[in-house]
Amino acid sequence: MNRILRKLFSNATSLIGIILLIIFIAIAIFAPVIAPPLSEDRYIIPRMSWDIDPQPPGSPMSDDIRDIYNYMGAEIKYDRAIFGTAEGGYDIFYGLIWGTRTAFKIGLITVSVSMLIGLFIGSISAYFGKWLDEILMRITDIFLSFPFLVAAMVLTTVLGRGLDKVMIALIVFGWMGYARVIRGNILSAKEETYVMAARALGVKDNKIIWKHLLPNTIFPVLVEASMSIGSMVVTASALSFLGVGAPVGYADWGQMVSFARNWIIGSPGRAGQYWYTVLYPGIFIVLFVLAWNLIGDTLRDILDPRLRGEL
Amino acid sequence: MLSYIIRRLLLLPVILMGVTLLIFCVFSLLSPMERLATYVHDPNTLKNSQAMGRLIEKYHLNDPFPLGYINWLKRIINFDLGWSQTANQSVKDAISQRFPVTLELVLYSIIPVILVGIWLGVLSAVHHNDMLDQTIRVTAIIGWSLPTFIFGLLVLFIFYGILGWFPPGRLSSWAQDIVYTSSNFHSYTHLITIDALLNGNIPIFLDALRHLVAPILTLSYISWAFLLRITRSSMLDTLRKDYIRTARAKGVDEHTVIHLHAQRNALIPVMTISGMMIIEMLGGVMITETIFTYPGLGFWTATAAQQLDYGSVISFALLFSSLMVIGNLVVDLSYALIDPRVRLE
Amino acid sequence: MITNNKEPLLEVKDLKTYFFTENGIVKAVDGVGFKVYQGEILGLVGESGCGKSVTAFSIMKLLDYPGKTVGGEILFKGENLLRKTDAEMRKIRGKDLAMIFQEPMTALNPVLTVGFQISEALLMHFPISKDEARKKTLELLKKVGIPMPEQRINEYPHQLSGGMRQRVMIAMAMSCDPILLIADEPTTALDVTIQAQILDLMSTLLREFKGSLIMITHDLGVIAEIADRIAIMYAGKIVEYANKRTIFYSPLHPYTFGLLTSIPRLDLEMKRLNVIPGIVPNPLHFPEGCKFNPRCSFRTDRCKEEEPQLIEVEEGHLVRCWNIDKVAQEVKKDLLVGV
Repeated sequence: MNRILRKLFSNATSLIGIILLIIFIAIAIFAPVIAPPLSEDRYIIPRMSWDIDPQPPGSPMSDDIRDIYNYMGAEIKYDRAIFGTAEGGYDIFYGLIWGTRTAFKIGLITVSVSMLIGLFIGSISAYFGKWLDEILMRITDIFLSFPFLVAAMVLTTVLGRGLDKVMIALIVFGWMGYARVIRGNILSAKEETYVMAARALGVKDNKIIWKHLLPNTIFPVLVEASMSIGSMVVTASALSFLGVGAPVGYADWGQMVSFARNWIIGSPGRAGQYWYTVLYPGIFIVLFVLAWNLIGDTLRDILDPRLRGEL
Repeated sequence: MLSYIIRRLLLLPVILMGVTLLIFCVFSLLSPMERLATYVHDPNTLKNSQAMGRLIEKYHLNDPFPLGYINWLKRIINFDLGWSQTANQSVKDAISQRFPVTLELVLYSIIPVILVGIWLGVLSAVHHNDMLDQTIRVTAIIGWSLPTFIFGLLVLFIFYGILGWFPPGRLSSWAQDIVYTSSNFHSYTHLITIDALLNGNIPIFLDALRHLVAPILTLSYISWAFLLRITRSSMLDTLRKDYIRTARAKGVDEHTVIHLHAQRNALIPVMTISGMMIIEMLGGVMITETIFTYPGLGFWTATAAQQLDYGSVISFALLFSSLMVIGNLVVDLSYALIDPRVRLE
Repeated sequence: MITNNKEPLLEVKDLKTYFFTENGIVKAVDGVGFKVYQGEILGLVGESGCGKSVTAFSIMKLLDYPGKTVGGEILFKGENLLRKTDAEMRKIRGKDLAMIFQEPMTALNPVLTVGFQISEALLMHFPISKDEARKKTLELLKKVGIPMPEQRINEYPHQLSGGMRQRVMIAMAMSCDPILLIADEPTTALDVTIQAQILDLMSTLLREFKGSLIMITHDLGVIAEIADRIAIMYAGKIVEYANKRTIFYSPLHPYTFGLLTSIPRLDLEMKRLNVIPGIVPNPLHFPEGCKFNPRCSFRTDRCKEEEPQLIEVEEGHLVRCWNIDKVAQEVKKDLLVGV
C-alpha cells in the first residue's frame, strides 16, 4: 500500500491529478464560504437578473432581484456575477461551486453502489459457476446491450427529472463492468492452489470468497471504480445537457453547460460573445474528469508491472 | 469452433428477448395513460374517456404484465411502434427517415477512429516511455477527459462561431432544395455524399462533406482516445512475449516484428473491444447531433426525451440495443474466425 | 571433435551484463569468458538465475530492458558483436548465429503457421522465392523428424505436441545452416524420452552441418551426452571450465563437486547423495568474497573476504577457488575414479 502511495506521488501526471482533486475537494467543502447561498435550498442557483440572454462576468445583481431577496430576509453576501450569468440570469459562479458538491455526490454514490452490486453479482457468479453463472452472465449481457448514455436517458425520461433519478439510472446500467472484472479475476484465482487447499480443509464457501478470493482480486476493480467516478459525472452532465437530468436551476455542471447551448454561437458579428457560458463550466468538468483519469491511469500502470515484476 | 458459433447464434434470440423485456419493464413504469399517449396521434382523443377506455383495452395497457408484454412484443415485431409527437409522424417513418442520416455520420466517423486509434496505439507502444509515447498518451488522456458535449461545443464555437467553416445542419438550404424537391436528383441510398456522387453532383457532395466534418470530429474523438489506450496496452503486452524474441533471433527486421508478429496478436483483443466501442460511440450520436442540429436519430431522440415523447425514446432504445446485440454477435464470431486457436478447436 | 582451426569461432571475453532495476543493479553476468571452436559443443551449466540465459541473450544482443551489456568483448569470427549495429546484427542472427529457446509453446507465434515461421528465416537471409523456401521448409521438417510434413507445414503451433514444437524450433534455427547454435534449455520442458530424441537430433544435425553448439542447461545428464567442454556458472561468473572428462572425473571447484555428487551416477560407485545446502543468492545482495562461500563445505576465512580469480591450474582447466587441493582430496575419496 505504501509503495502504491509512493508511486502515485512520484509520477508527474498522477501528482497533477491529486492536486486537482484536492482543490476540488476544498471547493466542495468550503462552498458555503466561497458562494454563500441566498435561499433555503442551497442547491438552487440564485438569479442575478431576469434577462434571458447571458450577462457577462462581473455583472451586478439587478435591483428587482435584490429587492426580492431583501424581502425574503436573505443576507446578500455577494452581488456580482463573477463568471457571468447563463440564460435566465442564473449565476454561473454559484452554479459551479455548488455543482462541485453535486459532482462528488453523483460520482461517489453511483460508483460505490454500482460497484457493490457488480461485485456481488460477479463474485457469486464466478464462485458458484454452472447454471447460476450462465444466467447471471446472460443478464449482464442484456444490460450491456444498451449504450450507457441511451439507457440512462431512457430511464431518466421515464422516471422524471431529478438528481436522484439520474443516479438511479447510472447505477442500474453501471454495474456490469465490475461484475465482469471481478468474475474474471475470481475465475482465474479459483484455480489457484490456495483456494483448493482451503476447500479441501472444509472452509465454508462464503468464507472462501470473503477472506481469500476477494482481497486478492479486488484491486483492479478499485482501479476501475476510481476511473469511473470521472465518467459518471460526465454522463450525468451529458444528461443534464440534453435536458433530462437535474431540474432547471439546480447547481449541476451539466446544467450550466445546457444553458449555453443556444448561445454558444453568439450574435451576428460578435461570435465569441457568450464564451463564459461554456468556458467556465467546461473548465470545471474537464479538470475534474482529468484529475480522476490521471490518477486512475497511473494506478493502472502501477498495477501492471507490479504483477510482472513480482514473478 | 462450430459449436461456439451455434451456441452464440442460439443465444441471440434469448438476449433479444431479454432486452425487449427490460425495455418493457422500463416502459411499464409509466401509467397506462402515458403509455397510451405514445400510440395516439390526436391529443383530442384523450379527452374522451370512453374512447380512451376502448383504446386502453385495444393496446392491452391494463393487462397483467406477461400479457401486456406479449402484446407489446407482437406490435413491435409488426413495426407498430406508435406515434412520435416530436416528429409528427409515425415512429416507424421517423426512424426510417432518419436512419440513413445517422448512418452516414457514423460510417464516416468509424474510419478515423480505427485508423488513427490503432496506428497511434501501436506507435505509442513501440516508443514506450519515449517523448513520443508521452506526448501521445497525454493527448489521449486529455482527449478522453474532454466530454463529447464540451468538445462538440468547442468545435462549434471555433469552427463555426469564429471561423465560419463548418456550419451546423446537414446541408445548406440551396442543396436541400435540390436533394429533396428536385426531380433531377435521385436518392439511391439516402446517404447524401454517395448519392451526390452517383448523381454526378460535386457541389452537393462537397456541401454535405462540409457539414459532416465537425460532427465527425466530435463523434470520433472520445472513441479514438479509448481505442488508442487499449491498443497501446495490448501491444505492450505482446511485445514482451517470447515469440517476439524468437522473431528477432531469426534476424527478422524490426518493422516486420512489430507489424506482423506483434500486431497480429495484439489486435485480437483490441478487435473485440473495439466492436463494442463503436456501438458505444453510437450513444454519443445523441449529443453530437444535438449540438450540430444534425437531423438524425440522435437529434430526434434527444428532443423527444425533453418533450417526454416516450414512444420515440423507447423505440430508439429498442433499435439501438438490438443493433448492439447483433453487433456483439458479429464481433464474437469474427473473433472466432481470426484467432487460429479458437478457429481450429 | 576439435578441428584444426586454431582461432576460436566465438570468444567471449570478460562479459559484463547488468540489469538496472529500480531496486538496484543486478550483475547478472559479471566477467564471463569462454571460447568455442568450430565443430565443438560447449556446455554452459548452472542453476536457475546464475546468468547462463543472460549470457546467451548478450551474445545474441537480444537483451530486454532494463538489461545492458556494460563491458567485455564478444568476438564472433574475429569481429566484436558488441560493436555491431542493429542492422548488422540482423544479418547475422538467424543466419550464422541462431538460438533455440526453452519453452516452445510460448516461443512460437500462435497466429502464424509453422511453415511460415520456418520459411521466414530463409526468405530473410537468402534471395530465394517463396516456393523454394517452402520446398526447403518441407525438407527441414522431414529432417527434424516430423511426420506428414505437407500437412504440418500449414498448421499452427497449438496443434502440435511439445516435442514436435521443439523440433519446429530446431528446424527454424537451423534453416540457414548456422555455424553457431545456442540452445537455451531446449529439453527442459519436455518428457525424458523426448529429451533423448531431441538431443540425438541436435547432435546429428550439428555433425552434418559442421556447426558448433553452446548448450545451456542445469541438467548434468544432458550435458554428459553431448558436450565437449563444459563451463560451470554460478552467480554470474564462471567457476570452473574444462573438458567433459575432467569435469566429471576430476573437478576442482566445490560447486561442481557438489553438483556431481548430488546426482546418482551409473558409471561410478557412490556412497550417498550429497546435498548442497542453502539456496542461490539474491542477485541484489551477493555475499562478500567468494559468492559460493555460504554454501561451501570447503570454505575458509579467506573465502569470506576475498573473491578468487579464475586461474588455469592445468592446460585447458580453469578454476575459481582458493581451496582446490582440499577439493581434489575429496574427489579422490568420493568419486572413485575408474581412470
